[in-house]
Amino acid sequence: MRKGAGFPRVGHAERDMDRRGFIKKGLSRLFYIFGGAILAYPALSFMTFKKSRTEKIIFHPDEQQSVLNFKEGVCLVRKGSEAYAFSMRCTHLGCMLNYGAVSQRFQCPCHGSVFDRWGKWISGPAKKDLLRVPFATEKNKDIVVTLDI
Amino acid sequence: MAKRGMHISGYFPRLGLASLILCIISGIILTFYYRPMGNVFQNVEEITTLVPYGWFFRQLHYASGQVFVILMLLHTVDHFLRRRYRVYSVGEWNLLIVSLGLCFFTLFTGFILKGDKEGIFAGQIFMNILKSVPFIGAPLSKLFMVPGEGFFFLPYLYHCFFLPVLIIYFLRAHIREWLPDHKFLAFSATGLFLYALIVRPYMDIPPDALVGEVKGPWFFLGIQTLLKTMPATLAGLIIPGLFLLCLLALPLARKEGRSSAPSGQQGREGTARLGEAVLYYLIVGALCAYGILTIRAGIRGP
Repeated sequence: MRKGAGFPRVGHAERDMDRRGFIKKGLSRLFYIFGGAILAYPALSFMTFKKSRTEKIIFHPDEQQSVLNFKEGVCLVRKGSEAYAFSMRCTHLGCMLNYGAVSQRFQCPCHGSVFDRWGKWISGPAKKDLLRVPFATEKNKDIVVTLDI
Repeated sequence: MAKRGMHISGYFPRLGLASLILCIISGIILTFYYRPMGNVFQNVEEITTLVPYGWFFRQLHYASGQVFVILMLLHTVDHFLRRRYRVYSVGEWNLLIVSLGLCFFTLFTGFILKGDKEGIFAGQIFMNILKSVPFIGAPLSKLFMVPGEGFFFLPYLYHCFFLPVLIIYFLRAHIREWLPDHKFLAFSATGLFLYALIVRPYMDIPPDALVGEVKGPWFFLGIQTLLKTMPATLAGLIIPGLFLLCLLALPLARKEGRSSAPSGQQGREGTARLGEAVLYYLIVGALCAYGILTIRAGIRGP
């Protein structure tokens, strides 16, 4: 009896085929992974692109008379000679704040953060003061606040 | 077909499928007037008050969507409590859990698309939670929502196209008959039609109105409460993500135990069983705690 009879014999040709199949499969997978990665980068760049835009909010002279002046989510503060503007969006998660004329505080209707009338954080999860926004005074005394959208 | 003396478990998916069909039909009708650009709040109010039968289709879409997702949740909880996840492969179970998550996300995008104060704030909060993710937050948030004019456009695209297609694709093998049984369809249709006819749409809050408290959708009331005391990433992403991971890993623990059994490694099987039990009770505990938190927030406010 021939040595090794009765056992399945794996010849060189079959082993080569297995190896070739393995390499082929591996290469095709690598092709898909790299192809996917190469496509994913431009696709994600496209999908997450946002043109930077700004919004201008104009406070005309008759809209700057009070200590606190509100317009379109911006509060313009006039404290004597000092003037500054801040966004009325909560620094926690961006909800628009309510101003309580009696309590003289800004309150977030979503998670309850409280800020004083000057935009300073008092309590709640926000932890940060309200965000100051840049503004410029025009020749005709208009105050123009620029917001990044 | 409806079987005589069917166990209650059999009713959840059948009624759910019938609700889904009604939800899709009413949603298709609403897309003929709904516009996700410009003054969305006014557009929704026009649907509710001006367009013939707009109020009816809006209510039908809202109610059928809610009923579908609630029934899917009950269906999953029912399978989970009876430990039926053992009969699924890890991949199948994970697809089903992900589909349930996508169903809730579809409800959430629908909540945003109302265009009222609650919807806008919910979208704003979601966007800022995503932005709080370290390194990838800003581009990640832009995949779902961008501020400005196109605020509602991406949620609209997800609500009407991406999510329904994904959910149907993931469930394609799970749902054996896509056409609902006529008895269940008739029952669901009658109930939902009556609801849409009798119950007037909930009064939407105009975006510029002053309100003391704004609530998110009912299933996020618990997270809204957590957000008051915890950092946004932890309450909004890590805790829900960990819960989801526990659910996804559940059949994995079981599989590990089974695969090691024939080799006689009883210790490993015991550890796997223990792992499964720990995961199981962890999920039950988390579900109960979240349920209590949600009910409390619903009654007392978040």
